[in-house]
Amino acid sequence: MVEFSMANPKSKPGSESKSHSRNVLEHFAGLNPSIPPIRSLAITTNSDSQTLVFIGTVAGDVISLSLNPNSGLSLHLRVNIIGKPVSSIHVVSHIKKLIVLSDGFIYLLDLNSLEPVRKLSLLKNVNVVCKRYFSRNYSLNNGIIIGNEDGCFFAVGVGKKLVLVEIVLSGSPIILKEIQGDFTDGIMCISWVDESIIVGTRSAYYLYSYASGQCGVIFSLPDPSVMLPRMKLLAKECKVMLMVDNVGVIVDSEGQPVGGSLVFGEVSETMGEIGAYVVVVRSGNLELYHKKSGYCVQRVSFVGEVGSPCLVADEEDGRGKLVAVAAGSKVMCYMKVPSEEQIKDLLRKKNFREAISLVEELQNEGEMTRETLSLVHAQVGFLLLFDLRFEEAVDHFLLSETMEPSELFPFIMRDPNRWSLLVPRNRYWGLHPPPSLLEKVVDDGLTGIQRAIFLRKAGVETAVDNEFLLNPPSRADLLESAIKNMTRLFKVYWLSCLCGTSKAKPCLCTEKDRQFLEASRHKDLTPSVREGVDTLLMYLYRALNRVDDMERLASSENSCIVEELESLLSESGHLRTLAFLYASKRMSSKSLSIWRVLARNYSSSHLKDSHGTNHVQDTTKGISFDQEIAVMEASKILEASSDQELVLQHLGWIADINQLLAVQVLVSDKRTDPLPPDEVIAAIDPRKVEILLRYLQWLIEDQDSDDTRFHTTYALLLSKSALDANEKEHATQNSEGVNQKEINISDRGNNSIFDTHNRERLQFFLQSSDLYDPDEVLDLVERSELWLEKAILYRKLGQETLVLQILALKLEDCEAAEQYCAEIGRPDAYMQLLEMYLEPMNGKEPMFKAAVRLLHNHGEMLDPLQVLERLSPDMPLQLASETILRMLRARLHHHRQGQIVHNLSRALDIDASLARFEERSRHVLINDDSICDSCHARLGTKLFAMYPDDTIVCYKCFRRQGESTSVSGRDFKRDILYKPGWLVTR
Amino acid sequence: MASTGHTNLNAKLVLLGDMGAGKSSLVIRFVKGQFLEFQESTIGAAFFSSTLAVNNATVKFEIWDTAGQERYHSLAPMYYRGAAAAIIVYDITSVDSFARAKKWVQELQKQGNPNMIMALAGNKADLEDKRNVPAEEARLYAEENGLFFMETSAKTAVNVNDIFYELAKRLPTAQPSQSPAGMVLVDRPAEGFRAGCCT
Repeated sequence: MVEFSMANPKSKPGSESKSHSRNVLEHFAGLNPSIPPIRSLAITTNSDSQTLVFIGTVAGDVISLSLNPNSGLSLHLRVNIIGKPVSSIHVVSHIKKLIVLSDGFIYLLDLNSLEPVRKLSLLKNVNVVCKRYFSRNYSLNNGIIIGNEDGCFFAVGVGKKLVLVEIVLSGSPIILKEIQGDFTDGIMCISWVDESIIVGTRSAYYLYSYASGQCGVIFSLPDPSVMLPRMKLLAKECKVMLMVDNVGVIVDSEGQPVGGSLVFGEVSETMGEIGAYVVVVRSGNLELYHKKSGYCVQRVSFVGEVGSPCLVADEEDGRGKLVAVAAGSKVMCYMKVPSEEQIKDLLRKKNFREAISLVEELQNEGEMTRETLSLVHAQVGFLLLFDLRFEEAVDHFLLSETMEPSELFPFIMRDPNRWSLLVPRNRYWGLHPPPSLLEKVVDDGLTGIQRAIFLRKAGVETAVDNEFLLNPPSRADLLESAIKNMTRLFKVYWLSCLCGTSKAKPCLCTEKDRQFLEASRHKDLTPSVREGVDTLLMYLYRALNRVDDMERLASSENSCIVEELESLLSESGHLRTLAFLYASKRMSSKSLSIWRVLARNYSSSHLKDSHGTNHVQDTTKGISFDQEIAVMEASKILEASSDQELVLQHLGWIADINQLLAVQVLVSDKRTDPLPPDEVIAAIDPRKVEILLRYLQWLIEDQDSDDTRFHTTYALLLSKSALDANEKEHATQNSEGVNQKEINISDRGNNSIFDTHNRERLQFFLQSSDLYDPDEVLDLVERSELWLEKAILYRKLGQETLVLQILALKLEDCEAAEQYCAEIGRPDAYMQLLEMYLEPMNGKEPMFKAAVRLLHNHGEMLDPLQVLERLSPDMPLQLASETILRMLRARLHHHRQGQIVHNLSRALDIDASLARFEERSRHVLINDDSICDSCHARLGTKLFAMYPDDTIVCYKCFRRQGESTSVSGRDFKRDILYKPGWLVTR
Repeated sequence: MASTGHTNLNAKLVLLGDMGAGKSSLVIRFVKGQFLEFQESTIGAAFFSSTLAVNNATVKFEIWDTAGQERYHSLAPMYYRGAAAAIIVYDITSVDSFARAKKWVQELQKQGNPNMIMALAGNKADLEDKRNVPAEEARLYAEENGLFFMETSAKTAVNVNDIFYELAKRLPTAQPSQSPAGMVLVDRPAEGFRAGCCT
């Protein structure tokens, strides 16, 4: 269920409920001429804006009154027709005539001169006359030009007969149709809209279609009817209101009811229409009912003559601004209050809801622009603000599309301030006091409430909210509500600016505000207003001590003015917010100093804490959570900073707390200019080897630095740490008594910030880099047990024998040794290795197995004679024979393998030759139409050539193109062609 | 009349029944979700509109809440003319109101739109101890006359939305009416055309 319409309000009929009361009409002019009682009334405003009121009296007078804005109503002309009561007067403005019904006859009078009086004797015993009303749509669709002298139609009720009449140019009536038989109870009233004629008789309302000639009952009247049928054309919507007792049923031109019934306080003889309202008069009262809602919105009392009927007339075109009322011999004119004044009046009465609904109504009817609606929302907002209803006030501010956020600055910040000149001097309708600080607004409001309470005791009613009078709010509560709601408003402004820069963060606000945010039009605030909004939002957050919000604002994209907030935030101890703010404003140095101070403070307070109570936090490293945050924020700033001095200045304390973050700062790729490595290396605390190592690693591995110094330093540092680790390992291995747990703890104590083992990295680095100085490294590790490293270094230095000795004898890594021989690639290296295996020094046993393996794998590389010479005489025959056998077999195997490869190659060659031969001996059929694929000349008997891709060219083109490139541009030398039929498969 | 446009359906719905049966209370409960202990009697007719979603279509009900007073009986045909649905409401504590409801059913069967979907609502179902119309009797009557029947309570909201939803659900399956919307005008013998002459 989404909507409902209001109608038939169940409030007491005719009661003017306070909440719906509007001041729509105001008395404009009145006249009490000494004339017989008035029987009929009409009002019209001509194209020159001259308004005439016509009255018909019981004595047969037709009197015209002119209405002057300055002098009011005055008697203009007066004629007497036949001395019989004038039952009705109709203005036909477009032919400048007046139609008057008196004593059953119709008279035609000139509108301005009331002369000559012309009787339409064709029609007798007329009891009702009505002119045809053309709706705008109908006129457009049927080519009727309103104001044209043609098309003056009338419906006339003559007893039970309906007569349709047209008055032509000469003023002569032509009867178009006479309808009888339907209206047996006598026609009492008629309305004619376009093609529809609605007729009221004593028993029923009928709809007669002029186009089809058909007739039907709309509804019958309850019997016995208290009153005669009455109806009123509602020209604005082209509808007709049919009366049943005091109830008005509005029907459209098809006789269908539209909207709920209007229930009037009293039975009224005549009804008027003005804008969205119906006017009824009775017993000295004029009442205004809203057509859509059915509410009685205004009641005006006027002094009528007792017992005399009241009449009301409108300008009959639905757009008039005046209604005329007659009672006895008195005539009054009421004018529609301009919409703006109506709204102002409602606002003055503090009936904000009704004011807004009036504006919306007017907007729907196209009588009010969006700008005005926005203006009213803003105005209502200010009024509510001074009424201390802050939440509603802010809702209205948010609904206003034109209100500038700067208009609210004076409520938050004392004048003069940075933004004083920005504040528009917009006083709207001047219904609220000038802006002042919220504190003052609250104080003044409270004083007002106090006064109202006092006055109420004295029996005087005031406009102050009843709720406040019953439960006077506390100053603190009001101020908090004021600040909270202002915060809400400024937050929406701030977020809407963010949305404008495509960083939508609507998740930060409530559902209600999100709707405002989505509809927000404040995306294009000027920079200075945005500065004001964001700075004041921070002010407000601070007033509410909403630290999370402050920090979120400070760390998000914002336009806060730092100078305005600096001292404020530091005084109130919101240092973190300040640090975030500095950071977001690129004031890195200031932000960093705060983080440094905070980290230090946290650590001292934390130490105190952990001494005092048993702290839950991880105390093993003595670093608190807050400290971690501080160091993280600081490192975030430094990671993006290219300011070398700044980075190096703060590196120290960050490293003290978190080495990993320190490394991240150094190796960050977020900065535009890299830091100079030399200075960085100099600045790193030499005790923090790990940081240095990581930095060098990054320089070498990620930045591809080829500075030999860095490579050497890195190699040395890695070696050192590998040596240390090695020593420690030895130490632990030696101390058998130490239990496992302690080892674990000591391991943890020595916790490195790196995961991988330095030893492996060292080996990898030594092998992969050629830029370090192997001698220097060797100096360091020569006496150590780092054999593999030594082997790598010797290899770099080309000390083959030493390398082989380490690999083969020290490490007994035969595979590595053989691999190394393969790298050297010379047979003598293998021989040297074999010698080592057979005659290891230092009293080692000969390594026959390794020797046999070597001969088996690389026998072909060794000269059998040399091998035999080297074989030791002590070698057991069994082993020796196996060795020799293996070697000889290996050689034979090697030879046969060669033969196989040779023969396979030959086979391939033959295949290829065959394919080539077949390709070249292909037949090509050339006829008269055959042309060169390149120059498109007929080949005829010319010499031609064919490429492997079957393109054919004449000899000339063949010479031009060369034999390896065909017409299609394919170069067969580069882009080799294979055909499936060819035997070449490899 | 119910008229379709895409998946939107506009349907005229009329509530009929004796005075005090609870027509207005039923509508106000459905449209606004409110209930007034002392609902003032409707004069003329009240109009509401409410949209609800049924079977992938939205049905916009234009609801005419008519006056139960006998004085306004003659207005009723205007409201039920061309209606796609009607709810005839009676008060389960009042036999008279049930009799009146039957009269309304007869009237609609005779004069209403033949495709109109009718529901019979036995309202004030919360007043079980004061019941005077047995539910079974009403159910039987509804079955015989092709109405669908529910006992409702605007006070406790029992079956209120259900009856409107049920009507909405039955709507799209209804046949289009033979008569066009609006009043049915009857042909009348041709009138004499007489040219006017000068006076």
